[in-house]
Amino acid sequence: MKYVGRKILTMLFTLLLVSFLVFLCFTVIPGDPAIARLGTDATPEAIEMLREEMGLNRPFLVRYADWLLSFARGNFGDSYSYSMSVADLLLDKVPITLAMSLMSIAMIVVISIPLGLYTARHEGSVIDKLIYALNQVIMAVPPFFSGILITLLFGIFLKLFTPGGYVSYTTDVTGFLGYLFFPSIAIALPKIAMTVKLLRSELIEEKKQDYARTAYSRGNHTGGVLYKHVLKNAMLPIITFLGMAFTDMIAGSIVVEQVFSIPGIGRILLTSISRRDYPVVMAVVVCLAAVVIVVNGVIDIIYQWIDPRIRLEGEKS
Amino acid sequence: MKRSISMLLVVVVSLALALTGCSGEKQGESTESQITIGIPQDIEDSLDPHKAVAAGTEEVYFNIYEGLVKPDSDGNLIPALASDYTVSPDQTTYTFTIRDGVKFHSGKELTVDDVVYSLKRCSNPDDPVLLQAGMTGIESIAAADDSTVVVTLKEPNADFLCEMTAAIIPQSNEDPDHVSDGTGPYKFVSHSPQESFVLEKYDEYWGEPAHIEKVTLKVCANADSLVMELNGGSIDMMARVTSTQADQLSDDFNVLEGTMNLVQALYLNNAAKPFDDVRVRQALCYAVDRQNILDLTSDGHGTIIGSSMYPAFGKYYMEELSDYYPHDVEKAKALLAEAGYEDGFTFTIKVPSNYTQHVEVAQVIADQLKAVGVDARIQLIEWETWLSDVYSGRNFEGTVVGLDASTLAASSMLLRFNSDNSKNFVNYNNPDYDAAYSRAVSTTDDARRTEAYQECERILTETAANVYVQDLAEFVALNKKYAGYEFYPLYIQNFASLYIVEE
Repeated sequence: MKYVGRKILTMLFTLLLVSFLVFLCFTVIPGDPAIARLGTDATPEAIEMLREEMGLNRPFLVRYADWLLSFARGNFGDSYSYSMSVADLLLDKVPITLAMSLMSIAMIVVISIPLGLYTARHEGSVIDKLIYALNQVIMAVPPFFSGILITLLFGIFLKLFTPGGYVSYTTDVTGFLGYLFFPSIAIALPKIAMTVKLLRSELIEEKKQDYARTAYSRGNHTGGVLYKHVLKNAMLPIITFLGMAFTDMIAGSIVVEQVFSIPGIGRILLTSISRRDYPVVMAVVVCLAAVVIVVNGVIDIIYQWIDPRIRLEGEKS
Repeated sequence: MKRSISMLLVVVVSLALALTGCSGEKQGESTESQITIGIPQDIEDSLDPHKAVAAGTEEVYFNIYEGLVKPDSDGNLIPALASDYTVSPDQTTYTFTIRDGVKFHSGKELTVDDVVYSLKRCSNPDDPVLLQAGMTGIESIAAADDSTVVVTLKEPNADFLCEMTAAIIPQSNEDPDHVSDGTGPYKFVSHSPQESFVLEKYDEYWGEPAHIEKVTLKVCANADSLVMELNGGSIDMMARVTSTQADQLSDDFNVLEGTMNLVQALYLNNAAKPFDDVRVRQALCYAVDRQNILDLTSDGHGTIIGSSMYPAFGKYYMEELSDYYPHDVEKAKALLAEAGYEDGFTFTIKVPSNYTQHVEVAQVIADQLKAVGVDARIQLIEWETWLSDVYSGRNFEGTVVGLDASTLAASSMLLRFNSDNSKNFVNYNNPDYDAAYSRAVSTTDDARRTEAYQECERILTETAANVYVQDLAEFVALNKKYAGYEFYPLYIQNFASLYIVEE
């Protein structure tokens, strides 16, 4: 119990630190939200009035404290550039980015685990070498570039989807998922390559362990040993990697959203930064940080479930 | 071995199925006519037309809201919500007859009260956010009877009619920020931030109705994927594409050429050294080869200009100023030597990075200036930083941007160069100019006013206030399924003139 309490406290402190740093960043970088909103027609009087309205004339710490208090109460404030609340603005966008990330993680699991098993089992075969080479190439290609290639291949040449033809989930769920399928591939590709490589080396490593040899010598089938015993042990680092990959993908989707013209969290974050729309940026960054922290917590739990030794150690401390 | 191969097969097959499963599903073609138009930035301001400031927002709101008068595609003001108007000979009293039978999108009938309310709302100096730039010097706004509104000015102002394009909104609308109610040929339907802004044809429009039922504006912030989206068919029209993008378009598109209607220049901070010396500014004007800029950045398209006025302004525009400073490196060097800079100098050009056309021109200028020993360093900054540092803060040496006009009154281009004007970000300070300008605004005689405004332009050119470059060429990509696009001399996109070509 003490352990859990301490863990939650560290998490809250991390969030506090993140929010403070982001808030600080915006006071340091040039650009003024009032001027950004009023543009070239701005008169000094109008700028002053808007600054007052946005509460920008108060000292930095007062503004931060004010933001923190309302955030703690679940109030994200109002967007400076859109006349709507931050919560309403983001709620519409969360499903888009989330759907894309979940789709990519599903692709990673479905494709990389069988491939990893196959290559580990047939270590040194032609197919293994081929996949190995392919892996190296795919790993090196960043998602935004593979995004462009995917658009070119599937969108322009094969006409499987209309580039930029994003369909909102409120009008057509199948069309929405169908469109997101392609950016999800772009996000998933490098992670698939990494997972296959990692799983393959983990499996080969584990295969050499004494327990595997014992299992074989007792007359077990090759496949049985691999799937029942070795895979389970090799999975630990993979799960850590997938967890990290998931949080990384949410951040990575910011770039891919640009390539595929998807109006998700990433697009909102980018435009809000350039419009100096602090309430929106603060909400997005702090929520993303919270997701990262929570996912890491979940990984800890899965760890304990797979490996009882960790569970026991955790109980002792 | 067999099992693992079959496993691989399953993965491959399911992937292939997923790929084909979500393909080809074309959405059912509706009978409703519609067009999707790309816009570079989201419509970010409120739905309140008096709060709209971004040019990209105003050009869209032109279709939703109307004023008493509105510009046609030649820039002339034509009666809109006023069916007729008269101006008193001393140009201080404007009498408008309100058009009969105009209905707002909400179904409410337009009354003189709405007109008085709207005009008062956007001319109230106590509310600087709603106040429209030119709406000053008004003595009174009142309804004379049920169909007449009289606006009285403190001083004669021949350009005042241009301000009467200000949107008229109903007095009964309590939340104009979120509820749109105008009288234009299109009405607002929905707005999903960063996604779409939807307009629908207004069936009870008083004038000539629009042709296309539904207009969807789609944000295409990424210039790199724009061509792909056009060729792929998810956007039917995009204004202000670059000539490079236009070259990459498929045969499905017509590329229309017009002008962007702005004054692109290397704007110089006239208060900063060494640009406080008129000879240095003139030297830069001689050092720049404008035709070469056009050739290198836009295949020779564009109109070279020599002062703060572009051709669409008609009688105010002075073509003869465009070659006042021919390309002459020797003369530039001589002027620099005279000013004490025979070894040249170094300065920074700040350019907003989102405007490719300005960045490219800045690069060519920097290159050309090397020939006279001036080392211009280009610093790319965000548009928001430009607004706060360069425009509001006036903290810069040189910057390449294009300045547009909100109305076709000469004052909308020339007002800012008055020494005490709050928008005079180049810190231009010249008593002769101020005198010529006040002569222009105080006279009621059209010929004399035009002559005084031209005097202003000539002063700007002779004193080399800025290194004027060009009025950029504008390219509009329009799918061949549509026609009817009209260029306006102002920042306006008229969707009502677009129609679908019968096949």
